[in-house]
Amino acid sequence: MIELKDITKIFMRGSEKVNALKDINLNIQQGEFISVTGPSGSGKTTLLHIIGCLDKPTKGVLKIDGIEVENMPESELVNIRRQKIGFVFQQFYLIPGLNVYENVTLPLLFNRRPKNKNDIVSLLELVGLKERIHHNPNQLSGGEMQRVAIARALVNDPEILLADEPTGNLDTENSEKIFDLLKSLHKRGLTVIMITHNPDLASRAQKTIKLKDGKIYT
Amino acid sequence: MIVPSGCPHEVASLVLHGAVIPKFLDLNVFEKIKDISGIELVSPFLVTQLPNHERGRVDIVYGMEMSHLKKIKPAWQIEGLIPEKDDAVIIGSEIASHDNIKIGDTIFYNKKPFKVSAILQKTGSQDDAFIYMPIKALQEIMKKPDRVTAIGVKVYNPQLLTEITEDLSMKIPGIQVVTMGQVIDSLASLASSAKILSLSIAVIVILISAMGVMNSILIAIFERTQEIGMMRAIGASKFDIFRIIIKETVMLTFAGGALGIILSIIGSGITEGFVRSFMSYVPSGRMIAFEPWLAGLCILLSLLVGILSGLYPAWKASRINPIEAIKG
Repeated sequence: MIELKDITKIFMRGSEKVNALKDINLNIQQGEFISVTGPSGSGKTTLLHIIGCLDKPTKGVLKIDGIEVENMPESELVNIRRQKIGFVFQQFYLIPGLNVYENVTLPLLFNRRPKNKNDIVSLLELVGLKERIHHNPNQLSGGEMQRVAIARALVNDPEILLADEPTGNLDTENSEKIFDLLKSLHKRGLTVIMITHNPDLASRAQKTIKLKDGKIYT
Repeated sequence: MIVPSGCPHEVASLVLHGAVIPKFLDLNVFEKIKDISGIELVSPFLVTQLPNHERGRVDIVYGMEMSHLKKIKPAWQIEGLIPEKDDAVIIGSEIASHDNIKIGDTIFYNKKPFKVSAILQKTGSQDDAFIYMPIKALQEIMKKPDRVTAIGVKVYNPQLLTEITEDLSMKIPGIQVVTMGQVIDSLASLASSAKILSLSIAVIVILISAMGVMNSILIAIFERTQEIGMMRAIGASKFDIFRIIIKETVMLTFAGGALGIILSIIGSGITEGFVRSFMSYVPSGRMIAFEPWLAGLCILLSLLVGILSGLYPAWKASRINPIEAIKG
């Protein structure tokens, strides 16, 4: 489903050339649950951004559902992000002025898709926040905010969920809840790729990719 | 019109709102003017403001030669009798209706009684707002015998106006000769200068507010960089971001425009009260009226300002790199 061939990413930090990813070769099948670990600066987030069509590789081939995307123009990459990919971030990035329902439906606005209130309610039920539908983000706990962010990532019905340290800002109990939620989504057939610093959570994924200095080393 | 030499605009303001020129002409000038050939009529004017204690305000009083009235102001419709003696006045229709004065009433200036012998019917000009008194009586009140503010001159042949004007200026020192054409030109130029000035102020205000709007939107974008990065990641295109920012800017300026219109409706009464408080006379009725088309134009203008001042911030926001933005 996702195929990375010799993916290399080089960027400039001032005058310094940074080799963020070096010849990454990876195949991810549909429905897999993969954790990505590695020390800071090992290229985890860059890898996630390239898979999520948010960044382009300097070299190599990236195929999603058999289509090469690395040379696509931004306008086409936006469509892939809208249709196939859901993003979850460590800092949640909910919009403070919008309530739970409005935050969750935000991607529909960009995808020009009509809102179906029943769908949204069942989505919030799935993440366990049905009762919080009209609450504002500042009325929610960290774990709840992350669940809203997950619901937002799922609203376009994507094939791949990319989570960049989704439990990084949460305590153990809430981390467990979020992990369980991701696991249940995986069981429903969603491909989940999760960056984490938590070795326990990483080990409980189907497959773990360890990155160091831009290379996979296991 | 002959006035003491000075600013030509003084004559215009004299005609416009009865300004009091602090210079006077001697009556010997009057005799000299009579000697110039081609002049049909010479009539003196004395203009001043007199306190009207009964009504607690200041009236503009025109002292004039009542026997010349028909010749100087042939178009005037006068109800009543033109004063023959120095103890009567004619009053303008606005003052009559405003203060409910009728023919036969008495008004006082400097404790001296004046009978209202006639009322000037509505002319639609500033004349409606003045009191017309025999010049001798006004000179007496002002304790300035033989002094006049201006001298009106009527010529037999208007085609010789230029020659007569030159002749007057050369032969009589210390005077300024202003023809009615010049007065009208002066008034027109005053009005257009005022228009240009107020338009310039409006343009400057619009520019400043557009810069202010642009600045606050830029600050908002800077504060919301992460939010914009997140939106790009969850499916917003560059154009979506551009559209959102333009929309927000237009909403801001539309709200500003609508609020401005509401405030101007509320504030018009206060402005009117303020203007009335320092003008000795203002026409009756409302001076400021609500014009729906003008309000609509203001709304359109505020939308235009919104679009224009939102362009740069929107372009800037659409170019935010989502990777850099969500990195924090």
